[in-house]
Amino acid sequence: MNLGLTLPVLLLIPLAGMILIALGARPKATALWTSLLNLVPGFLASGCVLRSGELFFGPASEPPRELFPFHFSLGMDGLSLPLVWLTLIVTWTAIGTGREGIKREKEYYICLLLIGAGALGAFLSVDLFYFFSFHEVALIPTFLLVGMWGHGDRSGAAWRMTIYLMLGSMVLLVGLIGLFLALPETARSLDWRVLAETLRANPLEVGAQQMVAVLLLIGFGTLVSLVPFHSWAPGGYASAPAPAAMLHAGVLKKFGLYGLLRVALPMVPDGWKDISWIVGLLLTGNILYLGFASLQQRDFRWLLGFSSAMHMGTVFLGLISGTVLGLAGALTLMVGHGLSAALGFSVAGEISRRTGTSWLRDLGGLAQRAPRLWFYLTIAAMASIGLPGLANFAGEIMIFFGSWVAHPVLVAVAAWGVVLSAVAMLRAVKSLAFGPMSPAVQAETVTDLHGVREIWPFAVLTAALVVVGVMPLLVYGPARPVLERLLLP
Amino acid sequence: MNPWFFPEILLTLAGVGLILADTLAPEKIRRRVPLFALLGAAGILVWSLFPASRVLPDSWLNLFVSDGLSAVFKPFFLLCLVTVIAMAARYRLGADESVRGEFLALPFFSTAGLCLLASARDFLAVFVALELVSISLYLLAAFHRAKPASLEAGIKLLVMGGLSTGFLVMGIAWLYAGAGTTEFSQLLLKQAGQGSSPAVLVAAGLILAGIGFKVAAVPFHAWAPDVYEGAPTPITAYLAVASKAAGFVLLLRVFGLGAFALESMGTSFRPVFLTLGIATVTLGTLAALTQRDLKRLLAYSGIAHAGFMILALGTRGEGGIGTVVAYLWAYLLASLPVFLFVNELERLHGSTDMRHLDGMGRREPGPSLGLTLCLVSMAGLPPLVGFPVKLAVLANLWNAGETPALVVAVAMAVAGLGIYLTPIRVMYWEREADAIPARRFPPFLIGVMLAAGLLNVGLGLQPKFLVRVAELSLNPTPVVQPTGK
Repeated sequence: MNLGLTLPVLLLIPLAGMILIALGARPKATALWTSLLNLVPGFLASGCVLRSGELFFGPASEPPRELFPFHFSLGMDGLSLPLVWLTLIVTWTAIGTGREGIKREKEYYICLLLIGAGALGAFLSVDLFYFFSFHEVALIPTFLLVGMWGHGDRSGAAWRMTIYLMLGSMVLLVGLIGLFLALPETARSLDWRVLAETLRANPLEVGAQQMVAVLLLIGFGTLVSLVPFHSWAPGGYASAPAPAAMLHAGVLKKFGLYGLLRVALPMVPDGWKDISWIVGLLLTGNILYLGFASLQQRDFRWLLGFSSAMHMGTVFLGLISGTVLGLAGALTLMVGHGLSAALGFSVAGEISRRTGTSWLRDLGGLAQRAPRLWFYLTIAAMASIGLPGLANFAGEIMIFFGSWVAHPVLVAVAAWGVVLSAVAMLRAVKSLAFGPMSPAVQAETVTDLHGVREIWPFAVLTAALVVVGVMPLLVYGPARPVLERLLLP
Repeated sequence: MNPWFFPEILLTLAGVGLILADTLAPEKIRRRVPLFALLGAAGILVWSLFPASRVLPDSWLNLFVSDGLSAVFKPFFLLCLVTVIAMAARYRLGADESVRGEFLALPFFSTAGLCLLASARDFLAVFVALELVSISLYLLAAFHRAKPASLEAGIKLLVMGGLSTGFLVMGIAWLYAGAGTTEFSQLLLKQAGQGSSPAVLVAAGLILAGIGFKVAAVPFHAWAPDVYEGAPTPITAYLAVASKAAGFVLLLRVFGLGAFALESMGTSFRPVFLTLGIATVTLGTLAALTQRDLKRLLAYSGIAHAGFMILALGTRGEGGIGTVVAYLWAYLLASLPVFLFVNELERLHGSTDMRHLDGMGRREPGPSLGLTLCLVSMAGLPPLVGFPVKLAVLANLWNAGETPALVVAVAMAVAGLGIYLTPIRVMYWEREADAIPARRFPPFLIGVMLAAGLLNVGLGLQPKFLVRVAELSLNPTPVVQPTGK
């Protein structure tokens, strides 16, 4: 049996779900079952990857054409494996936290499934054309989700987010075009397997590498909210409905980091090394500037938005560490951050739906009224601080150790960032836990999570955080050969 | 029977037949005239896809040629015709209902002109073909006589079209004075032999200006928004897609492949194209952002698309030509369904203002989805067909090392997202209209809109069709020989 077929099935199941919903099936149930069913091909494919290291579907590569040399093929290796699983789990839980009976329910769940499918497609694509295309698929559903079901200044947030992400994508596209056209005509391909091999054998000249690396950094960096291209992120996440924020902060943002690992590091290694001082400078901005900014937030969702953008700085530190340990840490932190951001935004969504507010000062005493909500909130906060035993800690510590030799100053900055994030998060947890119960919390509508149906998404995310935190090898083990190949001279 | 010019002859015969049927036939048959027109147009479209329809003798008075470019564009124009006839059959003419026969027949003559134009290899043939196109269009733009805006559109098109023809004729005259011939391949030989004389350069400039009006390139664009808004919607679609494409076919023939091929003119004309392109794409995009009328929005968006194509043409080599051809097909596939939708919207609501889209996403989920996909395709987002062609434009600009043009193109592609997301936003999330009008979209139109949306997705995910079309257009023969490639 050819298990390569499981890869297109991973994309076809959500598509089938979308069509069923459009034709009138019950939206939430259909979305939930399709995203759960999608775990099956996920298991099969990852079993194959764990055994043989990689799994591909579709033609390997075609002779170059003059105009458009792309071909549709999918693949999965140790690097994409954890991200595919992150996508599967976050999509499933995000749909699980979605509400039933929300206005325009059909469109809501179709958009969510589409974002998840787009992210899966991007992580599974072998051809850079489809890699880029699948990521862009998520742009319009995000625009609609934020605009139609968002909170606060939803229209402004939707426009800002969409135009900003489009700008980043276009810069990224130009970088990819530059990379492609810098190749000699006979070697032109968009297949990342072929590209990585070709460019390892005949690297580009340094000037071209630097040019492409800068474009890729700006492009991918915008998608990952690297300072100074971050300003879409906090407000966008604060305005987005909870499942959209979960998918975007949890999964789509990782596309930019995955892209750097997949494209920038192996294909323009010298250029990436040459600009790593710029990356170092910018990630300091993420950690310190956004860290201090997050201290000032009085709105819980904004706090999560800033803190989510801030932690990207630490991942970037792993990417410029130049060691396998640092890269493995970056990958682990990507997964950990995806899970903890998803948990944080989902809890924030539940809280503000029940109390009608997300202002910290109006949420005092929530722990007494809704202890389970507060518990999961605390888990998310602890994970994002980097409490040992949860996934983020494993990633951060590997990044710190892996980067120490090359960038001791930046490690100190990042460690300081841990302090900043601890202050911000603990303050939030405290103000929700203690003090007199505020009127918003006392309202009739405020109830705790009840029953398996409400609790399971949070429990699944928490369990995933703990599992990865205790056994980070699960994430970086399969990826290790890929990462080692990245660093070969 | 020798199939010379078959599509053109059939189109003319069909046009004459429609007028006769509309005038002479008994009432029972007259009512069927729209159906006959649609069937006729579709039949000719299908026939044009057969290689037999493309066979021409080697040189027919040296005026016409049948090659890859004409083989690509005759079906293009005929597909436009089919859509326009379908729209015209549903367009409300009000008091002018009695002349619907002519409204359906004139596009046939115009399309015959376009098909001739796709084959023309001599400026004399170009001129005759263009006049056939233009004169039918002047009539059609003013066809809705009860509507002052339509009359205004007709007059504007007449005046500006006349002006552009004037430029073109003046250019042809200078050309004949300078080079002694108006035939493309001889012109090309002359250029290669002795370089361009000043007279030929003046001629090239004048001809470029003349074509600039046709494709609505800045600074020759001012007529487009008013004419598009005033003209009956089917004719707007025809102007926006077929007529614009005709201008580009001419640009490709004259400046891309023959006559003044940019290569043979040295580099002196490339900066002109890049400047034109930058101005066109910038003005089109920025002006489109503030439009509230869908037809005006599409007019400015058409100007922006023209700008992207001119930029591609301004880059070196065959990549640029293939890109323009693929771009035109992608533009057709994305924008004709939008016009189809707008036509129906006008039929239901009496105007094309964007506020009629309020709550459309709930009222008409099928057509709204189709429209959304087509608009996103026009914005050039993957996985829709508008993306690979925009990618090709950017790649050509990078390859040619035109950094300023590349930066402008990227910025305008981003800003362009705003143009196409605005109608989507109105459809889905602006205040929702409470009253659902009694009249709805007919089922076949829902099917067409959905099919068009899916086609945009399919070709965006698997753009081999565009590659094939682009390759065919560069072929010297109208049929691709199976090669060993």
